[in-house]
Parts: sequence; C-alpha cells; structure tokens
Amino acid sequence: MLSNILQGTEAGGFIVIQDTVKYSGRGILKCFINAALKRGENVHVVGFETCETEVRAGLDSSCLEKFHFHEGHPDPLGWSCRSSFTVEQFTTEDITLLVQKAQHAKASVLVVDSLSFVLRHHQPVVVCRRLQELRKGGVIKTIIGLLHSDLHQQGVVGSVCHLASAVISVAPASNENCGVAKTTRRTKSGKVMQEEEFFNVSEDATLSVQTRPHQTGHVHTEQYEAEPDPASNLTFNLRLSNEEKKAREKVALPFVFSQEKKSALLKPSPGSGRIMYEPDANDDFDEEDPDDDLDV
Amino acid sequence: MFPELNSILNTSPNNFRSGDFILLSDRQADASFLIHHYLSFYLRAGCKVCFLGLVQSFSHYSAVSQRLGVNLTQAREKGQLVFLEGLKDSIGVVLQEDTSQKIQPLNYLRSPGAGLECLFKFVESSVRQSEDGETWGPPVLIIDDLSVLLSLGVSAGAILDFSLYCQATICSELQGNMVILVRCEEEELDDDEDSNLLQRGLIHQCGLALHVEGLPTGYCRDIHGQLEVWWRWREDAMYNQRKIFHFKVHEKGASFFARGSSSAIL
Repeated sequence: MLSNILQGTEAGGFIVIQDTVKYSGRGILKCFINAALKRGENVHVVGFETCETEVRAGLDSSCLEKFHFHEGHPDPLGWSCRSSFTVEQFTTEDITLLVQKAQHAKASVLVVDSLSFVLRHHQPVVVCRRLQELRKGGVIKTIIGLLHSDLHQQGVVGSVCHLASAVISVAPASNENCGVAKTTRRTKSGKVMQEEEFFNVSEDATLSVQTRPHQTGHVHTEQYEAEPDPASNLTFNLRLSNEEKKAREKVALPFVFSQEKKSALLKPSPGSGRIMYEPDANDDFDEEDPDDDLDV
Repeated sequence: MFPELNSILNTSPNNFRSGDFILLSDRQADASFLIHHYLSFYLRAGCKVCFLGLVQSFSHYSAVSQRLGVNLTQAREKGQLVFLEGLKDSIGVVLQEDTSQKIQPLNYLRSPGAGLECLFKFVESSVRQSEDGETWGPPVLIIDDLSVLLSLGVSAGAILDFSLYCQATICSELQGNMVILVRCEEEELDDDEDSNLLQRGLIHQCGLALHVEGLPTGYCRDIHGQLEVWWRWREDAMYNQRKIFHFKVHEKGASFFARGSSSAIL
C-alpha cells in the first residue's frame, strides 16, 4: 500500500507522515518528494525546520527545476527579516498565490515540513480549516505533511489525521536498517484499509518496501499448523455419536440453579418441621417478613 | 574534558564534527559534569564559545574548569569566551536598572510571553566574528540549562523556536556547534508535561543526545550513574543507535566504562 500511495495511484489527497523521536519521518518524506518530481509534478516545499540543502540532498537532479523551496528556514518567524515565507503566511490565500506563480506543470504538490511547527503557532482548528481549504481549492493536487506525533496532545494529532486520506506512522523495526510503516488509507468511498510494511530509504531517496525484514532471525512466524486430532490413533473410542452428543446437551448440571430447582426449594414440603416461636419479654418481635424485598 | 568520553564519541579537540547539535539531558541526576567537559573541549579546540550560564555563577565554572586545565578568566579576556551570567544580570533586569543597553537578552524575565527573540539576538551578535581582533575557530553555543526558562514562564514552544533559530544560524549557516542541557521531570502519563515535551522537541532537532540517569538498581558508591548515548546523525552509519555506559565522576574528571565493567565489580 505504501508503494501505491508513493506512486500517486490515488489521485491527490492529504497524506500525513507521523513520526516520533524514535524514528524520523524525513526519509520517507524525501522519497515522496522525489517520486512527485519524477512524475513531472511541481513540488512546493514549505520548509520551517530544515534547510534547503538538506532537503535537496539526494533528490533526482534532472527534475530539480520543478522543485521550489519556500524559505521558512532559517527565519520562520521573521526575527531577522530575511525570510521569504514566515509561519504567519501559512494561509490559504498566500499559499495559493505561491503555488500559482510557478504553475506550468501537470499538478502541484505542497509539502509541509513540518506541520508540528505550524501547529505550534496557529490554532489547530485554524490549521485544519486552511488545510481543508487548500485541498478543495483546486490549485494543489496533493498535500504531504510531516507531523511529530509526540510533540502534541493526542486530540490535536487525531484532528489533523482525521482530515487525511492516508496516514503513515513510522517506527524503528527490530532490524536496525529498516523501519516499519503502519499505513491507514481512507478511500473516497469511505472504506478504510490498513497495512504494516517494512521499508528502507536509500541515499538517493528511493523507497524499498519489504513485507518482512531480510534477517530470518527476527522474523516472527505467524503460521499456525493445524492441531493434530487428539482422539485419533487410540485403542479405545473417545468420539461421540450424534445421539450421544444430544443426550449430553440435555443433562442438567448439578449446581446450576434452574427454574425447577428454585420452585422446589421455595415451596414448603408437607411434613417438614414447623417453627414455633414465642417471643420473650426482651425480644423485639417484628411481624414483617425480613425477606419481603427479595426478588425470588 | 574527559578523554574516555572522547573515545566513546570518537572525537577530539583536533577532529570533531562541525554543524552539530548535542543535547544533554538528565532525569533525577546531574548532567552538568558534561557541560564542563564540553566547555573545556571547545576552548581547547580554539573555538569561539558563547556560554549562557543561567543557573550558576561565572566563578563556579571557572573553579571547575581550573581543575580540568582551562582558564576561563583568561579566555574571557582574550575574547574567546562570551559569558552571559544569567544570575547576576537578572537582578538588574527585574529592577529595571539599566535600560540603555540596546540588546536586552534577559527581557523574558519581565515579559515571558514575548518569547526569546532578544536572547537569540544576543547569541547571534556574540557568535558572528568581529572584523578586528583574533579569529577563532567555528563558533560554539553552550547553554546551562534551558529548562530553567520553563520555570520562569517561557513556554516550551518559544524555547523550541529559540533552539531552532540557534541551530539554523550556528550549526547550518556558520558550521559551528551547539550544546544544550535540559533537565527532565519524572516520566508521567500526562503528555502535557512541559519539560518532557521540551526534551522530545529538542531530540527531534539534535544530532547526538546524551542522557544521564541514576542506576535503575539504586545507589552505588562506585558507579554514579548511567549515560545513554544516542547517535542521530542521518548520514552516519551509527544512525539511531543507542548505547549505555556507566560513569563515575572524580575530582579532576570522570571515567566511563561499559556496563558491568567497573573496577569495583571486576
């Protein structure tokens, strides 16, 4: 499923790459950027957290004219007044303008690095609304965002991922060279599909997906062999015929409190001992039945 | 500086990675011995060091560095070391004594909600080389410690923005290094714990994380704690590797050894 999303077989959408301190999602993000460039799409990277050289490194050099890095980094808040794009400009109008300026390709892809930075400076509601507007705007075909899920409250992460058509959560695999990606994809018809795959990011930003890591030592075999029938190959018969099975089901178990037993116990049987009680002067005799409130 | 730590990290004052962000953190332990290590390391390497000492006085660091063989007073006079004495200067800021200074690095004390832009401007002006005077090696920023700003009312988000700006200027642009110490609270289920959020945010940004904790088995006279080294440089073969070492701090240094190989045990 990861390769399908990477190749863009599902037209457009909002893809969220979720990572934690344990494994960075920038590797996979770079693979997405590279795949979009190879497809001839315009890639606009709104970079707040990494510098342009780091993002460019490893990308396919033949398609770099379609790669546009909007310099949030190194001055994403405008402190040094040398930024071309501050986080305040993360609005629907400003981004649409930016993208339209360079519109001579098939489609445009907006990459946000990272959504965590934007969420730190804008209300989550506002961010979600803007992302939805950009999606429906028609100028941008795909939005890909990197989200550090351990830097926000669960509710915020949930709200942003709810908007997404695909959420890819990366984590380290037991084999150190690769990572494990849990992909959740929501199709237009509303069907939700999930898959877990092992992947490897190479230096030239290509993604290789494996269903299992190579080292068999770490592989966890999930195949269960059919259990052998314990009643076979015996000198006596342990099996039951159909009549015997029916008779077994009819047997009343000794300690089950069934309706018949209950009425038998409550009905006073004739000839049983009768209790004659004569209260003393000190006794507090209450005429009321203490068991009156029992629902038996 | 501690030679054993240098060999673990495969660095030396003559040969170290530039453009690196090293995060020191501790939980219910004291990682400040690592600050002294890096201070003497980079001064020996001939770098221009900007030190934000927010929790101790200059004389404290000077006394400890003396034992490690580095003279802080001399470095400060020569211009190699720029030292912001947080404790001493903060009284002036709170009492608003000297408003003539253009850059007020500690103005977050009066308005913590405003962020750390002024502190960043102070750092930036300190690390950019001046045209006159001696030229030093690549600039280095050392902060001890950043989590105290949380107690002063600065939000974790503002501190993360500040460290992002420092990293962009010092590490990416000037190819210098950064060493920051944060102290964390006990791990709680509550995700909103600011100091842990700050630590996680800084780990995302850093290239090497050293975390100091007490031994999980309890107090030991001969082993003062454990140090976890987490290599996070993406280009390195050691990417995402974590190793734990034990250490003991002495008068004039600290010794590091693999788990279970302390001389007291063997």
